[in-house]
Amino acid sequence: MHKIFSLSRKEQLAVQFILIAWACVVLIPLGVAVINSLKPNLGEVYRAPLSLPSEWTWSNYAEAWVGANFGGYFLNSAIISVSVVIIVCFCASTTAFVLVRMPFKGSALLFACFMIGVIIPIRLALAPLFTIVKGLGLLDTLTGLILVQSASMMPVAVFILTAFLKAVPSELEDAARMDGALPFQIYWRVVLPLIRPALATVALLSFVQAWNEYFLPLIFLQSRELYPLTLGIAEFRAQFSVQWHLMFAGILIMLAPTVIAFLLASRQFIEGLTQGGVKE
Amino acid sequence: MAKMSYNRKANLQRIALLTPGLLLFGIFNFLPLVALLGLSLVNWPGIGDADFVGFENFRKLAREPYYRDQFVNALVQNVWMFVLIIGAMLLLGSALALLLSFGTTGRGAYRAIYFLPYPLAGAAVAFLLDLMVQPRGAINTFFVKTMGWWDAPIGFLGDTDLALPTLAMFYAWHRMSFAIVLILSAIVGVRVILLEAAMLDGASRWRMLKAVVFPVLAPAFVLITVIVMVDVFNNADYTLLLMGPEAGPLRSTDVLGTFLFRTSFGGSATSVNVNFGMAAAIGLVTALLILPAALFLALKNLRKD
Repeated sequence: MHKIFSLSRKEQLAVQFILIAWACVVLIPLGVAVINSLKPNLGEVYRAPLSLPSEWTWSNYAEAWVGANFGGYFLNSAIISVSVVIIVCFCASTTAFVLVRMPFKGSALLFACFMIGVIIPIRLALAPLFTIVKGLGLLDTLTGLILVQSASMMPVAVFILTAFLKAVPSELEDAARMDGALPFQIYWRVVLPLIRPALATVALLSFVQAWNEYFLPLIFLQSRELYPLTLGIAEFRAQFSVQWHLMFAGILIMLAPTVIAFLLASRQFIEGLTQGGVKE
Repeated sequence: MAKMSYNRKANLQRIALLTPGLLLFGIFNFLPLVALLGLSLVNWPGIGDADFVGFENFRKLAREPYYRDQFVNALVQNVWMFVLIIGAMLLLGSALALLLSFGTTGRGAYRAIYFLPYPLAGAAVAFLLDLMVQPRGAINTFFVKTMGWWDAPIGFLGDTDLALPTLAMFYAWHRMSFAIVLILSAIVGVRVILLEAAMLDGASRWRMLKAVVFPVLAPAFVLITVIVMVDVFNNADYTLLLMGPEAGPLRSTDVLGTFLFRTSFGGSATSVNVNFGMAAAIGLVTALLILPAALFLALKNLRKD
């Protein structure tokens, strides 16, 4: 249609060359990880990191899963991430519902407090947060970590949901209110179905963030049996600093759920990114 | 039992709906941020009594060589790291987005491939790329053994000059697709009418890019810069994972995040200067440094309704 966006054959070749170059930069480390996770021993990882395994050792995955307790770490990660998703979706949606649809004196101030949370990351207030968690007796418990990670997601989640809720017409709720429905019923029956798309975005964001978080578990967990995968992998390196082939198996085990989540929701996520961003 | 009026019930339910979210956010997010102010005024190793010292922590940070030198070093390196990352992301990101925006064959496939690293955990990226740059890793093997271009392997993460840029490249590798997606959507958003008008005027492709396409990239650039800035100034995952809290070699990879961590929880066995008050002061100063950029972003976002 417009000539600016179409290329001659020669140009097409040059462009393809550059695009393939970056694809290689992206894919080679991932490919190296896959290849090396299937090598029978460490010697081969060091001797020839770029060649294919002499023997395809699928048992590395089983060994990482059982021997290095990745099964246990995986379970912890799953418990943490699923809990965070549920808590964030529930708390942020009720908060956004009240703030947008039933405002009261001080609701603007409350919203401003949440915006401060968006602006200043909780990592900067590490010391006071540590004191509070310790004071509540939640140090070194999954509950404590789940609450901290959920709270750190709250501001962004509230922000996304309020923005979305503002754009949704309120006729349905008004009708329900005329029929004498109470806030609980309106929230559960009317609002929750309406904001499902935004809730899906919030769920994906908080799942991936909770699953990938390294810093907060590092601070708030001490017992190894509570570790999520991120700490498990870091520990793996310290403990068996030479077992690269097993560690790659571990890394790939850790990637699987987020990659699947992204494949399932990538279109929506990319659209969310662009809508939140550049549109004038 | 007396029947409650509708209004009273509605009010109670409204409070009930609001409470869980407020408690969660208040206790584990807002309260710590407020407490940052108070804690920055005391000396406190984490056990025993806190010792009120006023603005002593801030004074030490500005004056006392032990803290000042670490702070200045971490700040300068943090800025340097940010400049490297944002430079790589904007230059390379724009170039790739531009190339993708032409009628390129296989555009969808490239976009999908470029997006692959994005959902990876920082921990996974750190270890994955670490093996690439190790002395016995893939890059050195390729250039030394396979091609014979280099005489000896380069220790990217063991060299005081190379370690920080290497970590910056890790970040750029991880987040490049974010820049590409935002810039690409800005390019595609250029109004076709504008392009057609330019074409009727007989503008060359390069002139059209310069006059019509590049100007609309500014908002995307600002957004990427601010988000990366907030992230890089308080995220130190790669450094903590690969270099430890002492940010070796010789603190050459120290950034504000590792300095804060070390001050709160100690680094190696030799560092005993653990002080939550000082850590709070560092956190507060960091917050003030990134606040203007973050506010800009928040205001820009709020205006959009």
